[in-house]
Amino acid sequence: MKLTDTMAYRSPEKMIFGSAARPVTTRRGLTLGGGQVIPEITSHPRPDSERTIKILLREFERANGDALERCVVVGHPAIVIENEHVFQMTHNPEWGMKIAAQTTGQIEEYLEKYGLKAAYRSTIADTRRPEMVDMRNSENMAGMIESFNLCAQYADILSIESMGGKELSDYCLIRNDLTGLLFAQAVLGGRDMQWLWPQIVEIAGRHGCIAGGDTDCAQANTAMFMAGGFISKDIPHTLAALSRAFSVSRSLVAYECGATGPGKNCAYENPIIKAITGVPISTEGKTSACAHMGLCGNVMAAVCDLWSNEAVEYHEMFGGSTSAVFAEMLGYDVAAMNTAVALGYQKEYQACLINSDRYRSPHSFILCPDNAWVIGKAVVENNESLYARARAAGMKSAELMLADPLLRFTAFENESLLGYMKELESLPDKEDDFIDLSLGKYGKVKGFDPASYGLSG
Amino acid sequence: MKYISETATIFTRYDKNIEGLQKKARNVSEDVVLQKLADCLVHGNEDEIEEIVREALVTRDPMDVINKGLLPGMKEVSRLWDEGAYFLPQVILSSDAMIAGIALCEAKMGRPVEKKAKVVTHTAEGDIHDLGQVIVNALLNAAGFEVINLGADVPVDEVVEACRIHKPVMLSGTALMTTTMTAFPKIAAKLKQLNLTIPFVCGGGAVSEGFVTSFELGIWGKEASQASGMAEDALSGLSWTEIRTKWNG
Repeated sequence: MKLTDTMAYRSPEKMIFGSAARPVTTRRGLTLGGGQVIPEITSHPRPDSERTIKILLREFERANGDALERCVVVGHPAIVIENEHVFQMTHNPEWGMKIAAQTTGQIEEYLEKYGLKAAYRSTIADTRRPEMVDMRNSENMAGMIESFNLCAQYADILSIESMGGKELSDYCLIRNDLTGLLFAQAVLGGRDMQWLWPQIVEIAGRHGCIAGGDTDCAQANTAMFMAGGFISKDIPHTLAALSRAFSVSRSLVAYECGATGPGKNCAYENPIIKAITGVPISTEGKTSACAHMGLCGNVMAAVCDLWSNEAVEYHEMFGGSTSAVFAEMLGYDVAAMNTAVALGYQKEYQACLINSDRYRSPHSFILCPDNAWVIGKAVVENNESLYARARAAGMKSAELMLADPLLRFTAFENESLLGYMKELESLPDKEDDFIDLSLGKYGKVKGFDPASYGLSG
Repeated sequence: MKYISETATIFTRYDKNIEGLQKKARNVSEDVVLQKLADCLVHGNEDEIEEIVREALVTRDPMDVINKGLLPGMKEVSRLWDEGAYFLPQVILSSDAMIAGIALCEAKMGRPVEKKAKVVTHTAEGDIHDLGQVIVNALLNAAGFEVINLGADVPVDEVVEACRIHKPVMLSGTALMTTTMTAFPKIAAKLKQLNLTIPFVCGGGAVSEGFVTSFELGIWGKEASQASGMAEDALSGLSWTEIRTKWNG
């Protein structure tokens, strides 16, 4: 597979929220990345509602219906409804399909009755736990493909949070092992996606829906969550930032296989992906505090096309259900961005979003559009292999972080970053050599099976 | 684009405010070799520890190597983590090194070291996110407990059966998703039916205190780092209600 060697944008200054170099239009006529930012709401069912399909259908009917209704009540012009499958929805593919059918039915009712433009993203659960099932040939994998096929009949957009490499990245993350993370994310994650995504693209194409994108939630987000805030002592923020840089190599694979965006909301690597591919992206920040804390609350909106909440559990609040409340909040955030566009103040508004978080953390620093673009350029200029481009992204990120005196580190994080840089420099240039080195080092990690990734251990 | 250099009115880097002088490990032994062993553990050096343990075992009793070198060294690691000087990976690497060192001592003795007590750990049925459990396992191992690790996506009956067989002092359950944590009260109810009133610590992701304390045996674990303290409480004879009162609410 040919790896990307071009940038969609000639400079980071061209990147702005609401506009993507390659906008897409859904089967229901909603254009994403075409000049306006659109909210994307994700609701999560309450505990125990997964007990039967009847209860789960009712739960999603309420949640998704509440979001659509609130858009009409407060006048939001458009929305994307996403459902991230809980395990049971993919494990029983008919369940996911019934919920997709129900939700798109609701969307069509709101379009007909009020003229509300909406789209539905179905995110299939990756039920393959690498150490428990064969990644390429198992009942779980067959169930996922069936689920994609059934949901694609109704959904506007298909996505997944694929898990390739997770068994090793977990092991390495808690051991501060950068080389292992690079291998897990770029080589294992990338290879898994090169195997998985052509199938998703084919299914989407056959059913007339859009192959959206993937996210390194399983690995880079785990690193980000573990790095936590300012009092966490789990892993250094600098390690999480480099894990994010590595994630670009594997998440880019979806688009190299034919996905067109919108990228998945929790892919914090998306600003870099957009710089390279020009596809519309969904991002999340302060409005995802319902799901997890973060140090990138505003900057993640700087180049978004969809603005999301990650996931909010459905229950009642003073202002209505959480789905309604978050749809309202996301819509108002988006209204402010679209107002800035209408007034011609978009670059000024973007500057506020970026400056809010630029020096808050290493993660937010590398995801500022200027840095994201430079990291993206390092990726495409080192496209000899999944490994080479991930390593280049990591080295460029470390270089940028070390070069800016306004980005401050704790002593441990600074020491770690200098060590990471040396470690990356010491690694072999060729992917084959790196794979040999890694298989020697990690081949016996419990649960890791090289054959799952087409490698011979 | 304009970038500002003064951010004090925008955010505060509290991590920089609380960053103190680098705390160091204390010496734990006057025996030069055992101190070298403890230092190796404090630095999480799994590669070197085997060589030093072998050196120590030439003239020392294996139990002395464990009790006067490895365990005091690990205690220093725990102290440095508790005091905020160490990050989690440093603890995990030290735990790996300690396990490797103890394995050599056990080989010399020809029998396994007696552990404090058994703890059964698992990740809920339908949930494959087991990183929290992996951390709990490492911390319990480091604290001297025998971990019966059932892994991820474990059916309710399998957890109950493991408790019936092993009679652990504590059971832990991890779940990332609210839709999988519903297995926990089912496990608790079955344990009660078997008259196994084992403290059942539940934590991870979206698992809330309100949910866990809504069923008998349940104790909410806010952080993985609490697991060894809770296990010590269970070992000392505190009941699940006493442990819940101490750590929750």
